[in-house]
Amino acid sequence: MKTKINSFLLLLLIPVFCFGQSSVKGTVSEEDSGLPLLGVNVLVKGTNTGTTTDFDGNYQIAANIGDVLVFSYVGFFTQEISFNGESTLNIQMAEDASALDEVILIGYGSVKKEDLTGSVEVVSTKEFNKGAIVTTDQLLQGKAAGVRITDSGGTPDSAPNIRIRGGSSLNADSSPLIVIDGVPIGIQNPAGVSNPLSLVNPNDVESFSILKDASATAIYGSRASNGVIIITTKKGISGDPQYNFSSNTTISEAGSGLDMMGSEDYVRFIEQYHPDLVGSLGVDVGTVSTNEASQVIQTSAGFKEVYNTNWRENILRSSITTNNVFSVRANYKNKIPFRVSLGHNKAQGVVKTDDYERLTASFKVTPSLLDDNLKVDTNAKFTFVEKNAADSGGALGGALVFDPTKPVYDNNGPFGGYYTNTDGNLLDGQYNPLALLKQRTRPEEAFRFLGNIELNYTMPFLPELQAVLNVGLDASKSDISETLGDGALVGYRLDENGNGVFNPGLNYAEEQHITNTTFDFYLKYGKSYEDKVIRSFDAQVGYSYQNFKTDGNKEIYAYASTTDEGVIGERYQVFNENNPNNRYFNSQNLQSAFGRANLNVLDKYLITLSFRADASSLFVANDVWADGVWGVFPSAALAWKVKEESFLKDVRFIDDLKLRFGWGRTGQQNISGIVGFYPTSPLFIVGDQSSQYLPGVNLYSAAPFQTGLTWEKSSTFNAGIDFAFTQKRILTGFFDVFKRETTDLLTRVNLPPGQALTDNFIANRGITESEGFELGLNLNPINSDKFSLSLNGNLSYSITEVTDLGGINTLPIGGGLLGTGSNLLFNKLGEEPYQAGVFKQVYDGQGNPIPNAFVDLNGDNQITEEDKYYTSLRPNWNFGFGFNLTYNNFDFSTSFRGQLDGKVYDLNALSFGHTESAAPNNNTSISNVLNFYNGAANPVFRDAIGNILYSDYFLKNASFMRCENIVLGYNFSDKFIKNTSMRIYAAVNNPFIITDYDGQDPENFEGIDRNFYPRPTAYTFGLNIDF
Amino acid sequence: MKRIILICFSLALLPFMSCVDDLDTEPKIELTLDQLLADDPNAVEGVLSRLYASFALSGPNGPGSSDISDDAGESPFLRGIVNLQDFTADGMKNRWGDDGLDQLTTTSQWTSNNKFFRYLYNRIYYTIPQCNNLLNVLANASVTTSESIISEVRFLRSLAYFYLIDAFGRGVLATDENFGTSEFLPEVSRQQLFEYVETELLAIEPIIGNNNGYGRANTFVVDMLLSKLYLNAEVYTGTARYSDAATYLTKIINEGGYSLEPNFIKNFSGDNNESSEIIYPLIADPVNSQSYGNTTYIVNGSLSPDTFKEFNPDTGQDEPILYKFGAAEGWQGHRATSAWYGLYGDLATSTDVRASLFWTQGHNYIMNDYREWTDGYPSIKFRNNDLNDTPSSGTSFSGTDFPLYRLSDVYLMFAECAVRGASNATMSDALDYVNMVRNRAAESSITMADLDLDFIIDERGRELNLEGHRRTDLIRFGKFTGGSYLWPWKGNTAAGTSIPDSYNLFPIPQSALDANPNLDQNTGY
Repeated sequence: MKTKINSFLLLLLIPVFCFGQSSVKGTVSEEDSGLPLLGVNVLVKGTNTGTTTDFDGNYQIAANIGDVLVFSYVGFFTQEISFNGESTLNIQMAEDASALDEVILIGYGSVKKEDLTGSVEVVSTKEFNKGAIVTTDQLLQGKAAGVRITDSGGTPDSAPNIRIRGGSSLNADSSPLIVIDGVPIGIQNPAGVSNPLSLVNPNDVESFSILKDASATAIYGSRASNGVIIITTKKGISGDPQYNFSSNTTISEAGSGLDMMGSEDYVRFIEQYHPDLVGSLGVDVGTVSTNEASQVIQTSAGFKEVYNTNWRENILRSSITTNNVFSVRANYKNKIPFRVSLGHNKAQGVVKTDDYERLTASFKVTPSLLDDNLKVDTNAKFTFVEKNAADSGGALGGALVFDPTKPVYDNNGPFGGYYTNTDGNLLDGQYNPLALLKQRTRPEEAFRFLGNIELNYTMPFLPELQAVLNVGLDASKSDISETLGDGALVGYRLDENGNGVFNPGLNYAEEQHITNTTFDFYLKYGKSYEDKVIRSFDAQVGYSYQNFKTDGNKEIYAYASTTDEGVIGERYQVFNENNPNNRYFNSQNLQSAFGRANLNVLDKYLITLSFRADASSLFVANDVWADGVWGVFPSAALAWKVKEESFLKDVRFIDDLKLRFGWGRTGQQNISGIVGFYPTSPLFIVGDQSSQYLPGVNLYSAAPFQTGLTWEKSSTFNAGIDFAFTQKRILTGFFDVFKRETTDLLTRVNLPPGQALTDNFIANRGITESEGFELGLNLNPINSDKFSLSLNGNLSYSITEVTDLGGINTLPIGGGLLGTGSNLLFNKLGEEPYQAGVFKQVYDGQGNPIPNAFVDLNGDNQITEEDKYYTSLRPNWNFGFGFNLTYNNFDFSTSFRGQLDGKVYDLNALSFGHTESAAPNNNTSISNVLNFYNGAANPVFRDAIGNILYSDYFLKNASFMRCENIVLGYNFSDKFIKNTSMRIYAAVNNPFIITDYDGQDPENFEGIDRNFYPRPTAYTFGLNIDF
Repeated sequence: MKRIILICFSLALLPFMSCVDDLDTEPKIELTLDQLLADDPNAVEGVLSRLYASFALSGPNGPGSSDISDDAGESPFLRGIVNLQDFTADGMKNRWGDDGLDQLTTTSQWTSNNKFFRYLYNRIYYTIPQCNNLLNVLANASVTTSESIISEVRFLRSLAYFYLIDAFGRGVLATDENFGTSEFLPEVSRQQLFEYVETELLAIEPIIGNNNGYGRANTFVVDMLLSKLYLNAEVYTGTARYSDAATYLTKIINEGGYSLEPNFIKNFSGDNNESSEIIYPLIADPVNSQSYGNTTYIVNGSLSPDTFKEFNPDTGQDEPILYKFGAAEGWQGHRATSAWYGLYGDLATSTDVRASLFWTQGHNYIMNDYREWTDGYPSIKFRNNDLNDTPSSGTSFSGTDFPLYRLSDVYLMFAECAVRGASNATMSDALDYVNMVRNRAAESSITMADLDLDFIIDERGRELNLEGHRRTDLIRFGKFTGGSYLWPWKGNTAAGTSIPDSYNLFPIPQSALDANPNLDQNTGY
C-alpha cells in the first residue's frame, strides 16, 4: 500500500508538459479495503466536464495535459490530481473519519463540524440501533449522551418520552423540539397516533443532530428550551442510480410477567384467607361447555369444577413483524439528485389483536438550478397508519386479576363463546380479558403528509449573499371508529326487566384534521478572506412563522339507564345541542425574528452570536404587542481550536482538540396540555350534557384565565471539549458540562383564595437550577482489512433542583395510586422535581413490614402528612455503550443502555399484594393476587387502606442495564451476485436486562409501575441488497 | 429568471407583516361573553345555573372534570359538607382512609395539610369569585338583568361565605368590588364575615322574589340562611340572636307555603323534587347532572354488594340487591354509629319510620373498628329510586336531590329558639312543631316537660343526620369538643375520648396560607 502512495506522489512531483486532449481511465478504490468505489465524482477542475465511477470503480474522462482532476466522494477526502497524459490513473481514496458528519445542521443553516461552537451531537446511520426497529426514536435510544428516551411500553405505536439533559420545566412541556427536514413537527399528535416519530420510516433517516446547549438551540428560540433533535433523511446522489431493498422479519416474545397465582395455589389461598368466598371458586359442575381441562374438587361450599387458566398466556402471542423498504437514489440527467423510498411495515404487538400497519413513501429532490445559484431541497413524506387500538391496558390488567380457576370459553353462555363472571344476568367483576380483545375492533387510521420546499438562492451579482425560503406543511387526517361485535361484554347492559341486552355496532367515532404550516425566510451574508485576522464571517437575519390547527369531532354513545335517555339498556348517541358534532378546535401561532453571526479569527477562534425574538399566541389576550407576548433569546459562543495553535500543531498524538464555551437563553411556552390554547382570554365553556343543572337552560362556565403570562426562560452555560487522539483517530470523543437556570417557570401555583376564577393556575413562578455533564467516547483500536473493532460509549449526569416554588414549599402533582385522590408525587422546594412523598416503613424482627406502622420522623407522637419524606424518582445517571466488530465478511455488534439510579413505585405489589385484594369491593367475584406462598407478596398486608399506600416498602431501586440488541451479519461480495452487494443479518433486541427490581420493568417514565405493556424480546432476520 | 426569483422572495415577505395578527388566535367552541350573549337569550341564566351547580357538580365537562385543581371525585362542595359536617360528628363514619379521611372520622390529628379541609375551602373560594365575576359581567354587559337574578347570585355568594364562617372562621372578604385586584386581600374576622353576610342577605331578602323556579333561591331560602346565621350567632360572634332567627323562621312557616311531606322517606327518594317540604335542594340527575359529590356520594358510599343481599328463591342463593335502591354501585364506605341509631331505642321494635332506615343484616351494632365494613349499620335514608317504586336495575349516578333546607329543620330550629328564650317564639308553638315532626315519622308526641335542649339535639339527630348539619349543631350545643359527650371513635378511640376546643374550627389549608401571606392559621393548629 505504502509503495503505491509513494510512487503516486512521485508522479505528481515530476512536471510533464504535454498538450492536446486525450482520454484517461482508471479505477478508484478505497484505500483501506481495496474495494472499488461506486459513484465517485470525477471532474476536470474549472470545467463542466465530469463523470462518475461505475460499479467496478472504473471511470473514463477526456482531459488535457495540465488539467487538474478532482475526485470527490461523500465520506472521503477529496483528491486533486494533475493530469500528465497517463492513459491509466488509478486512485485510492482515504476515508475521512469526520467527513460523514462533516456538515452539521444547526437550525436555519449548517456548519462544518470543526467549526461548531455549541454542544451538538450527531448520531448517524453507522451508530443507529439495529434489529427490530419500528419507529425512528428506537434508532437513537441509548446512543446519545444526555438524551433519555423511555417508551411507554412494548406496543408498536408506543409513545416515547424524550428528555435532553433531564428537562427543566415543571409543568410546561419538557420534550425537545423535533425538526424533520426543516419542518418542526406539531405540538399535538394526530388522533390515533401515539408516537409522533412514526411518521418517518427509520430506514429513511440519515442522521440525528441533537442540539443540547442553549447557544446551539437559541436560534430555535421558542420551542427549544428542552433541546432540539433535527432529523435529516437520506438524499439523492450523483452518479449511477442505486437501488436498495431491505427486508426483515421479527418474532417477539413477551417473556414472563408478574408472579400471580396458579389455580392450585389460588384454591389454597381462598380457602385459607377467604373461606366465605370459597363458593366463588371455579364454576358449578357441568354448567360450562368448553374443551379446556378441568377438575372437580370438593370445597366447603360443595363440589366445584375448577380450571387452570393462565390468563396472561391467553391474551399474549408470539408476534410477527415484517418490514420492507425499497429505495432508489439517483441523479436525473446528472442535474436533479433525488431519492424515493417506499416502505411497508406490519407489526403485531405481543397482546393479541394489537395490530399495526404502516405504509410510507418519501420523496426527496435536491436540484441545483440557474448555474447552481438556486439550490432546491424538496421533501415529501406520506405516511398511512392503520392500527387496531385494542384495549391492551384493560386486557393486561384483566389478565392479572381474573380468577385462574375460571375457564376462558363457555359455549353455554350468551357472551359469544367466552366465559365471564355473572351474577344472574348482571356482569360481575372483571371482563374476560380475551373477550375484551376479540369482541371489539377499533381501527384508528391516520394519513399524514409532511413536506417542504426550501429554496436557497445565491445572488449572482453578490455571491456572498444568499436568500433562503422554506415553506412547510404538516397535515393529517385521522379516522377512528370503535365497533362492538355480537356478544361483546363492553356493550352488554340490562334492560328494564333485568334481562341482558347486547349492543353490537358502532360505539365511538372520531374524525380529525390537523394543519400545521411553517414558513421561514432568511438572508445570509458570508465572506472569507485568505490572510486577514478575520478569516471568515457570516451573518443572517430571518423571520419564522408557525401555525398549528386541530379541528375534529366525535360521535359519542352512551347506554340508557333511564327512560329519559331511551330504551333502558340500549345504546344511544349522546346529543349535545350546544355542540351537535362534539366538535373540538384549537389553534396556536408562533412567530419569530432571528439573526446569527459567525466569526472565524485566524482559524483558531470561532465566535457565534445569535438573537431571536419570539411571540406565542398563548400569551396574547387581544394585543399582539402587549407585554409578555414577545420573548428575547440571545446567545453567544466561543470555540478555541487548540489544535491549530503552534504548540500543538506538531503533536501527532493529538489529532484534534477544541474547547467550546457557550451561553444562551431559550424560551418555553407550551402549556396548552394543562390550560388549553387560550389561557389569557376570558371565555365561557358550554357545559357538557352530563353537567347541566337548572332545568331549561344551558349551563355556561366562566373559564379561568391569567393575564400577563409570559415566557419561561432558561439560561444555560456550557463548556465542552472535543478531542481526537492519535493520527488515525483511535480515540475520539467529547465532554460537556452545563449549568442551567430556568426562571419564570410556567408553574401551576395556588392563587390567593377568592381572587381568581379557580384555586390554581399556570403562572410565571419559580426557579429550577440544573447541572450535569455528558461524556461520549469512540474507540477504534483495530482497523485493518480483515478485522476491525470499534467501541462507543456515553455517560451522562444531570440533576435539577427546585430553588423557588413561588413562595411555597410543596406542590402536589398527581401520581394517583389506588382510589381517588391518592397522590404520590410532589414538587418540593430544595429538591429535584418529581418527588415521591412516602412514610418510612417499620419492620418487625423477622424483617416483615408492619402494616400502617411508620417512623414518626418529626417525633410528635402521631403519623401525619408531616412525617412523609421525599425522594426522587427520576434517574440522574444514564449510560449507553456498544461495540462493532467486523471480521472478513462478518459483522457483529451489540449495544447496551441503562440508568444507575432512579426509583419506581411498584403499584402492583400494593394492588395485588394484600390479601383483601382477592375480594373486590364492587362485586362478589374474586380476583387473582400475587403468589403469597413463594414470597412474591407478603400476606401481612391484609388491606390497602389508610397510609399503607404511602409506605416506602413499595418504592424500589430502578437501576438497570438493558442489552438493547445483538446483531450478527454477513456481507456477500458482489462476486456472489454480479453488481450486487448483499448483507444478511440476525438480531435479537432486548434479550436481557440486569436489575434488582422485582416488578415488571424498572424502565418506567412515570415512576409508578402499574398496568404495563411488556417490552418483548424480539428476534429478527433480515436482508439488505444494494444493486 | 433571476429577477423573477427576487420578486418572488420580496412578494413572499410582504404578507408576513400582516401575519403578526395571526398571533391573536380565536376559539371556535369556547365563547367570549359577547358571543354568548348574542347566541343565547338565556345566557345569563346559563351562567347562573353554573353558580348553583357549583355546590353539587365538580366541573363543566362531566363528573370527571374539576373546576379546581383538586380531584374531581373527592372535592365537590356537597361531598365536602358531608365529610366535614357528618363524618366528623357522632352519627356517621367512613372506613376508606383516603389519605386524610380517617382523621375526620376519628376527629384526631387534624393538620393544615389534610386535603379534605382544602377541598371545602377551595370550593368556597371557587364559588365566591365566580359570583363576583358574574356580578361584574352583568354590570358591564349590554343586557339588562333583573334584580332577582342579581339577588340570586348574591345569595349563592352568601351561602359559600356561610360555610367559611362555620367551618374556618376567617378568610378574605372577596367581593365584586375588589374582584381582579392583584394585591393580596387582607384577612377579616369571623365577626366581619358574619356582618357582611347578614347585610347582604337583609338587602336581597325583600327583592329576590318568592318563586324563581325549582332549585333556585327565593325569599324563604334567604330567610333560612339568615336563620341559620342567627341561630349560630353566639358561636360565630359571641352575641346570641335567637329572636332574629325566630323572626325569619316564623316567616318561612307562615308565608312559605311549605308543608311536611306525609312520607318522611319521600324527601330522600328520586322523586323528592315533588316534596312539599323541601325549601332548597341541591339538584342531582343520573343523566344530566352527574357528580361523585352529590347524593351519589351518599347513596353509593353507603351500599355494598357484599352485605346488601337477599335470598333469591330462583337461584337458591343470596344475591346483591343494590338495584332495589336504584343503585348500580356500592362503594362500602359509610356507616352510621350507635350514636345515631341508638337514639331510636331498639330498632327492631321502634315504630319510628326513621329507625327503619338502617341496613342491619350482616352488620354489627357496635363499631369496634371503623375500618371494618361490617362494624356499624349503613344508613339507607337516601336512595335513588322513587318512593313506592321497586326498580329492577340501578344507575351509577344518583338522581335524588339533596334537601339542604327543609321544613322539619325549620320547625326544630324554631323550637330551639323558643327553648333558648327567643321572645317571639312561644313554647306551645314549639311543642306543636316538634310533635308534627315526630308524628310524621310515626313517633309518639312529647310533652312540654320533655322539650329541652337535650331533647332538641337528639331529635335533630333522629331527623336530620346525614343532611350536612350535625357538626354545627353539636358545636352550638357545646357537645362537639371536650369530654362531656362522647361517641364512637371520637378522638380516635373506639369508645370515644375528649378532643380539644380548637377542633371547633378546621385548620386553614396550607395551600391558602402559602398563596396569601395575609392569612393566619386558626388557634391550635
